[in-house]
Amino acid sequence: MELNLTIWYLTMIKIGIWLVGISILIFSPFIGAVNLNISEILNANSLTSQIFFDLRVPRVLFAFFAGTILSLSGLLFQTLFRNALMTPYTLGISSGAVLGAGIAIKLGLSSLFFGVAAISIFGFFGAILTVFLLIYLSQFLKNSQHESLLLLGIALSLFYTSALMIIFYLGSAMQNDMLIRFTMGSLSVIGWQSPILLGVIAFILLFFIYIYRFELQLLSISDESATLKGINTKGVTLLLLIVSSLGIGTLVSISGPIGFVGLIVPHMVTKLYPSTVNHRIIKTAFFGGFFLVFCDTITRGLSTQSELPIGIITALIGGPFFIYLIISRSKR
Amino acid sequence: MIELKDFSCKFDEKIVLQDISLKIKNHLTILGANGSGKSTLAKAVCGLITFNGKIFIESKNISELSLIERAKTISYIPAKLAVYDSFITLYEFVLLGRFPHKKSFLDYSKRDENITKQTLEFLKINHLKNHTLSSLSSGEQQLALIAQALTQQSKIIIFDEPTANLDPHNSKIIAQHIKGLKEYHQIILITHDLHLASYVDNSVAFLKYTSSFRATTRNLSYYEDPTKFFKDSTLQKLYGVKFNNLVPNYD
Repeated sequence: MELNLTIWYLTMIKIGIWLVGISILIFSPFIGAVNLNISEILNANSLTSQIFFDLRVPRVLFAFFAGTILSLSGLLFQTLFRNALMTPYTLGISSGAVLGAGIAIKLGLSSLFFGVAAISIFGFFGAILTVFLLIYLSQFLKNSQHESLLLLGIALSLFYTSALMIIFYLGSAMQNDMLIRFTMGSLSVIGWQSPILLGVIAFILLFFIYIYRFELQLLSISDESATLKGINTKGVTLLLLIVSSLGIGTLVSISGPIGFVGLIVPHMVTKLYPSTVNHRIIKTAFFGGFFLVFCDTITRGLSTQSELPIGIITALIGGPFFIYLIISRSKR
Repeated sequence: MIELKDFSCKFDEKIVLQDISLKIKNHLTILGANGSGKSTLAKAVCGLITFNGKIFIESKNISELSLIERAKTISYIPAKLAVYDSFITLYEFVLLGRFPHKKSFLDYSKRDENITKQTLEFLKINHLKNHTLSSLSSGEQQLALIAQALTQQSKIIIFDEPTANLDPHNSKIIAQHIKGLKEYHQIILITHDLHLASYVDNSVAFLKYTSSFRATTRNLSYYEDPTKFFKDSTLQKLYGVKFNNLVPNYD
């Protein structure tokens, strides 16, 4: 009887979260510094309509896809390395992207290469190079020492931060202002280009993780058992890491680092749906989107002088959560 | 049939096995002291670690087989189940044995599911199918590993110390299953458990390992007829421990 009651509660919570998630998605574009009137929105020539369709809706979609990419990458890293603390953020991949973008800002590269901003390209390579550096360094670790890999990631993060400090030190006031805003993480986008780009990348990432769901299921048991079932574990790991850093690199180079989403959301989904990894992929993608749209709606709803950067909100929630995860793991 | 030619293998930079040539035509039990390289040998055959020399299975060089083909030929059952994913159920775990037979990127087929159900019933663990692996006892976990190996339907099954963590009652259940499987599979059994070894009654390979400060010598003695091995005098000579009627008692 008691068991039935818990199952019932859990079901209600799940239905509740889905309903809240979907309604936030629908109502989020109406919330912000300027109150929008529905009849005005439908008038195509009005300023209200422009704010709604060129700023608010793209931003909500951008936040949704950013949340998807961050959460899926978190789930992927945690499965591949069998460690609940692994995310692109904790492994220093986001910091690599920030440093790349910082170098581009310092060098004053504001021009476009093949229609893509130089900052994005540098950020992207920062992320990719960090992944390869981690893969290279991990060869010197024993097979099972994934905690050491995490420490390597943290060491890289610290190193990148110092390098960024040098750029601050050498930079002009205007460059530094740009850099500081970038490192805080922001979801404000103008127009449809970024959300569409991010949507395509989120879909590619979801596609790859989904078609490799059974490989991931075996990898989440152990490397050895995956090899014994005929999986080229190194190949699969490398492929999925590259696809994921493509997503992270692109995202971070547009929005700056948004931490801890990849830690919080996969954990939340696992609590709600305690099942093996292949059943959690699509749910993680959606919940990640809901979560970041929710956080972003809060930043826009708060009537502060200027909008609070999203990276600060997620870090404020994520920091304590990271500590909670570390403690609850060592209890076991 | 498994054939080793000039086989050498390292573990942690130390040479564990050197220049071994051996033909294994039928079931084999590998015995030997700790650190004599029993598991290393098994892992090399399964492709988990690299080695020098050649290994042939059914006269095919395994270095030329793809990992999938290798998985269809050999399955390896470790001593202990190590699972990071704490939510996987017994049924899902056993179904994973069908992975090498599954079409890439597609779901497991109806046939895969049927084979899994039959295996669970055959090993009498069907009532546990919705339990998570972490909630099972050591004996049940060992059965789960055997079930997964059986759904893999490989000719050769390697058992690596299957009774190392089990009480006598569970050891008996596992021992009876291993003996029963000899009819359908080629069984390679690695163990320290002499009761199990004598009950399963395979030919025996004994890996001897003597180490002094001058040199380490390793050699392999092969006993085609198990009754020649399971004699108190032979055992005493090999292990340096007095034995008094090693009686198999699993029947």
